[in-house]
Formats: sequence, C-alpha cells, structure tokens
Amino acid sequence: MFLTDIRKEFYDVVVNQRVALFVSSDVDALCACKILQALFHCDHVQYTLVPVTGWQDLGTAFLEHKEQFRYFVLINCGANVDLLETLQPEEDTIFFICDTHRPVDVVNVYNDTQIKLLIKQDDDLGIPAYDDIFRDEEEDAEDSGNESDSNSEPSGKRTRFDEGAVERRIERQRAKREWEARRREILFDYEQYEYHGTSSAMVIFELSWVMTKDTKDMLWWAIIGLADQWVHDKITHMKYVTDIATLQRHVSRHSHHNEDEENSLSIDCMRICFEYDLRLSLYQHWSLYESICNSCYTTSSFKLWSMHGQKKLQEFLADMGLPLKQVRQKFNSMDISIKENLRDVIEESSNKYGMKDIRIQTFSVHFGFKNKFLAGDVVHAAAALLENVEKEENPSDNFIRALDSLSRSKLDQLHCGIELAKKKLIAIQQTVASCICTNLILSQGPFLYCCLMEGTPDVKLFSKTLALTLLCKYLLKSFVRSTRNKRCKLLPLIMTAPMDVEKGTVIVLGIPPESETSDKKNFFGRAFEKAAESTGSRTLHDNFDTFVIELKTEDRSKFLDALITLLS
Amino acid sequence: MPTANVTDARMTKFKNKGKEPSKLRERRIAVCVELRKAQRSESILKKRNISSLPDDEALSPEYATDNKEVISIAIEEIICNVNSNSKEQQTRGCQAARKLLSRERNPPLKEIIDAGLLARFVDFLGRDDDPTLQFEAAWALTNIASGTSWHTQQVVENGAVPAFITLLGSPMLHISEQAVWALGNIAGDGPAYRDALIACNVIPALLARLTPDAPVGYLRNLTWTLSNLCRNKNPFPPLSAVQQVLPSLVQLLHLGDKDVLSDACWAISYLTDGSNDRIDVVVKTGIVPRVVALMEFEELSVLTPALRSMGNIVSGSDQQTQVAIDAGVLSVLPRLLRHPKPSVQKEAAWAVSNIAAGPCQQIQQLITCGLLPPLIDLLRNGDFKTQREAVWAITNYTSGGTVDQVVQLVQSGGLEAILDLLHIKDAKTILVILDAINNMFLAATKLGETEKLCLLVEEVGGLERIEQLQNHENDAVYRTAQELIEKYFNEDVEDECFKTEATERDFVFKPAEVDKQFNF
Repeated sequence: MFLTDIRKEFYDVVVNQRVALFVSSDVDALCACKILQALFHCDHVQYTLVPVTGWQDLGTAFLEHKEQFRYFVLINCGANVDLLETLQPEEDTIFFICDTHRPVDVVNVYNDTQIKLLIKQDDDLGIPAYDDIFRDEEEDAEDSGNESDSNSEPSGKRTRFDEGAVERRIERQRAKREWEARRREILFDYEQYEYHGTSSAMVIFELSWVMTKDTKDMLWWAIIGLADQWVHDKITHMKYVTDIATLQRHVSRHSHHNEDEENSLSIDCMRICFEYDLRLSLYQHWSLYESICNSCYTTSSFKLWSMHGQKKLQEFLADMGLPLKQVRQKFNSMDISIKENLRDVIEESSNKYGMKDIRIQTFSVHFGFKNKFLAGDVVHAAAALLENVEKEENPSDNFIRALDSLSRSKLDQLHCGIELAKKKLIAIQQTVASCICTNLILSQGPFLYCCLMEGTPDVKLFSKTLALTLLCKYLLKSFVRSTRNKRCKLLPLIMTAPMDVEKGTVIVLGIPPESETSDKKNFFGRAFEKAAESTGSRTLHDNFDTFVIELKTEDRSKFLDALITLLS
Repeated sequence: MPTANVTDARMTKFKNKGKEPSKLRERRIAVCVELRKAQRSESILKKRNISSLPDDEALSPEYATDNKEVISIAIEEIICNVNSNSKEQQTRGCQAARKLLSRERNPPLKEIIDAGLLARFVDFLGRDDDPTLQFEAAWALTNIASGTSWHTQQVVENGAVPAFITLLGSPMLHISEQAVWALGNIAGDGPAYRDALIACNVIPALLARLTPDAPVGYLRNLTWTLSNLCRNKNPFPPLSAVQQVLPSLVQLLHLGDKDVLSDACWAISYLTDGSNDRIDVVVKTGIVPRVVALMEFEELSVLTPALRSMGNIVSGSDQQTQVAIDAGVLSVLPRLLRHPKPSVQKEAAWAVSNIAAGPCQQIQQLITCGLLPPLIDLLRNGDFKTQREAVWAITNYTSGGTVDQVVQLVQSGGLEAILDLLHIKDAKTILVILDAINNMFLAATKLGETEKLCLLVEEVGGLERIEQLQNHENDAVYRTAQELIEKYFNEDVEDECFKTEATERDFVFKPAEVDKQFNF
C-alpha cells in the first residue's frame, strides 16, 4: 500500500526498532541512503546497511537478515515485482519500499499489511483499480465447479437447480470471463512499459523536511539524486525541470535561513547555488577542451568522430575567441578574465552551431573557498566509483567508497571518483566513435542492435549496468545524428557486451528511441522475458531494471531472432 | 557444464522464473485477496445487501440462508403441508421442499430425509391425478438422489425405483424427463444400483421414449442416463443389457447435438474399457468409423470421449485395431498429437503406443501415415505424462518392428529424443527407455552396425547419460544400464580411461591406479 503520511506510518514506526536497510547500486539510492542514515544517526536508530546489486543479492541478503529483523527498508529496489512472492517472508515482516521503478507491482500496491510504499502518489502511476484486477475468493469458488466440464468424464450424478439459478450461474460465468479478459488487458497495459518515478533521495529528503530535520547536506544529496536521474536518462525533461523547481524552493529557503551565518564565510561552510550551467561533463575538473571532446551533447552535435567534426570544433573554438592554449589547460588555471563570462560566451557560439540547449538547470555546491562541484559531476564520480573495474574489488567495497564520496569530509574520495569518471567518459566516447566509424550499429527492423565483442578496449567497464546505460544513450544519440536513414532515427537500441567470460554470458540492455519528447518508457523488459521464454534461452533476469538481462552467449542469435519476430 | 546448471537452477529461484505462470497468477490473487479481505468485508456486506436482493427476490429467506433454525422452521412447515390431506397444501409443501433442494449452496438433503418426507414423495410420484405434485416430488427426489451414496440409498430404499420407471411412461414430457433424470442419478451411484435398475427392466422403458420427435433437452437427459447404465466396472453391466442399449447409442451418435454426442461417446468409452470380448461387442456394431469422425470434432466435450473410446479399441486385439486403422484413425491421430491441450496429446500418444504394439504391418502403417514426426516432437516437448506415453510407443515399436522400421525410427530422431529423456526421475520410465535402446541395439546387431549406433549414442551425449544411470538408486535401472554398457560400450569405456589418464593426469591420478589394480 502507499503511505500517505510517511512520517507517521514509516519513520515513527521504525524509530525505536532495528532496521535492515537494503540499498540498490545506483547514485540516487546512495543519496537516499545518506539522508536516511543521517536521520537515523539523529534519532539513534539502529540499522544494518546492506548494498544489493540484483534480485539474487536481495534474496540472499533477506535470508541472512530475516531472523534478526522485522523491518526492512528497500531503496530503489523491490517495488516492481511481487515481493512477498519473491522473498516468501514471515507474516510479521514488514517492508518499507522507496523505489523509483515503475510500474509498481499491483500486489505490492494492494497489500495493506506487509508492503508499505514510500512513493509519491502524485507521480503518474496509473494503478488499476482493485476491483478490476482482484476478485473475492467466494465469488470464484462458486463457479469453479463447472470449469473442467468439457475435458473430463461427466459426473455420475447431477442436481437439478432452479431455472433462475442456472441462468444466474451462466450469467456469472460469462461476466467472470469478461472480467478476466479485461483484467489481462488492464494488466498488460499497466505492465507493458517500465519507467522511473520521483527520485528516492527527494522522497526521503521530503520526509526529513516534514520532520524539520533537514540539513544542507541532505538537500545536496537530494539534488544529486535528481541529477542522477537526469544523467542516466531515467526521467523526462519535463519531470526534471519540475523537480528542479521543487528543490530550488528548498535551496532558497536554506540560504535565506542561514543568511547571517553565511555572511561570515568560513573554511567549512557549505553553499548550494542554483546554476544555469553548461552541459559539459566535469569541465571544472578537466580542461574545457577535454570536456567538450567527452561530453555527449557536444560530441554528438559536432560529430567529433569524423574529421569534419573535428574541424567544426576548431571553428567553434575560434568563434568563441578562446586561445587554444587556454582551452587546453586545466580549467582551474584558466585566466580569470576568460572564466568570468565563459558560460555566456559558450552559449552564444553554441547557438550558432545549432546547440541551442548547451545550458541546463542544475545546482552547484561550494565547500569552503576552494571546492566547487556541479551536481552532475558528482553523479559521474559516484557512478564511476560504484562500478570501478580497475581493481578487483568486491561490489560492497565499491559501494562504500561511492557512499563516502558523497560526504563532505571525504573530498579526496570524490576527487578519486572524478578521475575515474574522466577515464570512463573517454572510454565511452572512444567506443561510440569506433562503433559508428566501423558501422557496428545494425538495423534489425524493429530495433537497432550493437554488439560489443570480447577484446574491444574497455569492454570490462561495459559489463556494468550504469556504464553500459551511458554508452547506450550516447551511442544512440550520436548514431541518430550520423545516420541519414530517417526510419532508423526512430528506433530503440539494444546493446550486448561480454559479461562473464567464464560463464559465457553477455549483458543485454535495451533503451527507448532517442527524441526530444521521449517519455523514457521502456518496453524491453516484457519483450526480453517473452523472447527468452519462447526460445528457451538461458537468461538471468537479475537486474532491478528488467530491461537489463544476462544471457548465455550461444543463445544470443535465437534470442534476437525471437525478439525481432516479437516486435515486428 | 556444471556451472551452467548451477546458474539455471539459481535462475528459477528468482523473479518468478521457472515457476508456472498460471499457478503464479492464481497464487498472487489468493494471497492478495486474503490480505485485503478483512478491510473489505464491510463494504462487501453492504454490496451484497443491495445486489443479492433482486436475485432471490422471489424466494423467502430460507432458500438462501444456512441458518439451521430458519431451515428447521421451514422444514416443519413442509412436513405439516405434505402430511395434510389437502391437495393444495401437499403441492405447496412439496414445492417448498423442492425449492430448498434446488438451491446452489448446501441444499438440506439430510434434513429433508431425516424429516421422513421421502416415503411421502415416492407416494406422490404415483399421483397421476395431480401432475404438478408428481413433478415437484420427482424433482425433489432427483436432487436427493444426486447427493452422496447414502442419500441415493435413502431414495431407493423408499421404493422410488419402480415408481420412477412407471413415471417414465407419463404422457407429460417434463415429468417423464424428470424421471429419466432421477433414474440417471440412481444408475450413476455405482454398479449395484445400476444392475438393480437393469433388473427392473429400465432399459426397454427408457428406449421406448427414444423417438425422433423427442425434444433435444429430453434426449440429452436420456442419453446421459443411458450412459450411466453403461458406466462402471467390477462388474461390468450385463452383456445382454449392453446389447440392448448399443443400437440406440449408435443412433444417438449420429445426431447433431453436442451434448448428446458427448454423453453417447462417453457411453462407448465405458463399454470399450474392458476385455477384448467387451470391445468386440462395440466394434461389431460398425460404429468405429463414426468414432473416428467424432475425433475430428473441435469441441473437447466430444473429442475427448471419442479419443478415449478409440484408445480403448486399439488396446484390443490386432483385428480390432485393424478395424480402427481401416476406419482411418491414423489420419486423425497426427493432428491430435499436435493438439494444443496436453490432455489430448497424452491420450493420442497412448493410442499410438497401443497401435505400435501391434504386428509390423500396423507399425508400417504408422510410418506411412506420418505419425513418427509428431510422436518424436512429443518426446521432446510434451508434458511428462505425454512423454511417458510416447516413450511406451517407442519401446513397443522397437520390440515389434522390423529392423528396417527401427532404422527408420532412429533416422527420424527417435533415439536422440529418448536419450534426452534419461534425465527424468521416474525409474519406471527410464527402464522403458533403456528397453527401447536395447531393442535398437538388437536391430543394429542384426545389421552388423553396432559400432555405428554406439557412435551415434555417444555423439548425442547418450552414453554419458547411461553411464550416470549406473549410480541410480533403483537397482533395476542401474543393472540395466550396466548391462547395456558392458554389452555395447565396453571398449569405449576403457579407451576413455586411457584418455583421461593421459590428458588430466593430475586429476585422475588415484582412480587410474585403482583401475590398474582391477586389470590385474
């Protein structure tokens, strides 16, 4: 069931209890977790934090903790499947689920006792009405008698019912069949597309605000949570702008609030500002040139993988009148005079080069005098730490490191993350360029398909969900700009990359078509399930996003064939 | 590869993979309904108050309630009325009882019996002067007889059988029909009452009502009652009775109504479910071609009993089976083997297995009519019960077929399909499969191509499977598997040992030594 009063129905319930906190591996979840942890610290709530990477992980974590805990808080996992069916918990176990995955499983929605959903109901949920999808068992029991008529031996004895009773029975059966057909239709419509709702970090932040326990740190985490949804392309532009506005009100409330103290700037002060900043990743920690060359928006606009694109970039830089030397050196060391109105200069030239949306609403944070970060850059850093493949670390070490990078006391960790993120963005751009230049993106009819082979540089990085998501998104954007085939511009993209060489599996990920007005709804989850089922392909649907699966390499071609048939 | 299996097994544990979707859905609904129930019960009650009224508006509360007191008051009133001398009151009482007995939920059968009303009702059956009363009484008794054996017994012991048989002759069709129905319930109770009815000459009385102008509803009841008179084994109905009924059944099987066809077909299936002489009686009527035609019906209610009858017939003698083949059964069976309903596939596979148990001429006809491909498909994709029947078909085929026929089966993929089935748990079925494999080797030996077959078995991974069966917990399975291997694969096994020794010395160091000791 949905909680209407999260404070009373969630926080006040768990505040004197021991809580198991299961957190999914994405940046928004990390941020929600940070806020919740801060609240728990405040009220001395005992909790155990367990990072979970997929359904298997969640199942194992639950088994390990179900003896000691009654209350489980799940962040960015659990809402989109029937959790009771999956975990088979005891009857007194209670799950609080704060998850952006949509659609929410209907059983979770209508279970009043064990499933409590921390989900904003003003999100566009479209939940089917209870009476449309569930029926009373009594009503069912009445009619079950005549079900198997035609198949089995007739009964040896028969009762003669009232004429009216027979008619009523027939009428009821007819109504029931109609109802069932409608139910299937409703559920199909409801479950067909996957998408994401309001950031979990924002939901938890709102809780802290309602309790007047919100701090600037918490607000910053909420901002990063929203930025994560933007960076990883989980929500529509409209939704992003709306939520930015919500957060902006909180930001101005906070800066207002502390105005007096703020005047006395100190080394450990924290200042959050609204920015209308550039869509250039990490430019404040890089050189402007490198950022332009590795940001999706600029590379796809210039088509930087081609000679022509490179030339255009040079023209663009000349148009701005920025000396190459300045552009290529560290941003921090650029002339103050250039930096001063840099954003306006870039915007002006960008407009000429068809990049009308080079700027985007976001927030920045200042820690003391020296450190300034944009929300999107922190997302990149944290995501890079989460999926760090450089050292053979186990996932929970990565998780802790990424979590740390969000603390202002662990700025060194954040800087580490930023360095990793740079490498990751470079790897993505190089892969995009090579995929496009070697025509690796094939049109399969109903969708585009690109397969990264074993041995491709950085292929290990792309066995991870977030990295592959970014690659997919950047690749599709670039492909749409480079192809002349109009039909192809409207197609969704499926990518496969080697996942586990020993097991012989690939990761398969599908994303919706690229368009300005895209609703970001993804139908590949259902399609993957059906294709796997119909071909008997060996797949592992372990990811919380059902449009990401693991597939046996040798089953790939029959799986794709089935998918083509299914979607044509 | 073991890792693959582990993943697959793990996969089934998550995200509902591997669980049957329909079951899952049932369960989901059940769980959820339970959880919601408490909260909703109130609103449901309210709804019931509104919506259930028009349904039952003609009825007084006693016809809907389970309240003991309300019912006992109603019954007392009935007793009073039924025992009075006024015609009107008797009819009113009888009708009230009938209504109580006709409700869908928990009709008070025992209460009515305990009230001692049955004797009166049986009396009423003879009241030719009052058809309404006759009808109400007949209906009430019909419904009591539709209960448990004990309920039926009470009806019979109150002398209802002769009264109903007399009532069959009523000029009022609906009364006669009610009598047919009641007798059907009594006959359906089991062989004892069935034969008691037959002894009372119920069959001629029933057949007398079988006229061309009888309405369909009447014919349906009549056919059903006749089918109940053919039903049940231990003992079978007397042969003379069967002879009496059969010509009419044949007639009914040529009508157009699906319900009549269904029940008549079930009657045929009961009659053929016995020894060869029982089957013979049915086959001699010349009905077999009609049964084949009925197997082509789309309606499961007709197809199922027709297929069952046919399965029974081909389980008979070779001559009886030949009659079925001559009637064209082999042209229908391939389609039924591919029927979307697993239950139909299973029955069809069963029929094929019985035809495959025949002489090689009949096996040849199986091949000619193209039954091998769908049969082998079922081995691969059928549900377990169907696979089991299909396995029997293969084994019967290989034991009765000629060498050429067996070769043809292997070439069609039959060997590979049954080898794939060796992973199942059921020991009996495994033994049947091993039997089939053995038969194939016997055929290969005759051709002098044992080695070729060995190679084929090994290629498709069968040898590995058979080797694993040597660890089977079932004695017979492990011995049969061992015999197979010793007889046909012995050299290969040794070869294999040497190979492993050479390539993976570290791993098999110890077992290799043991082997050597054995050789000495």
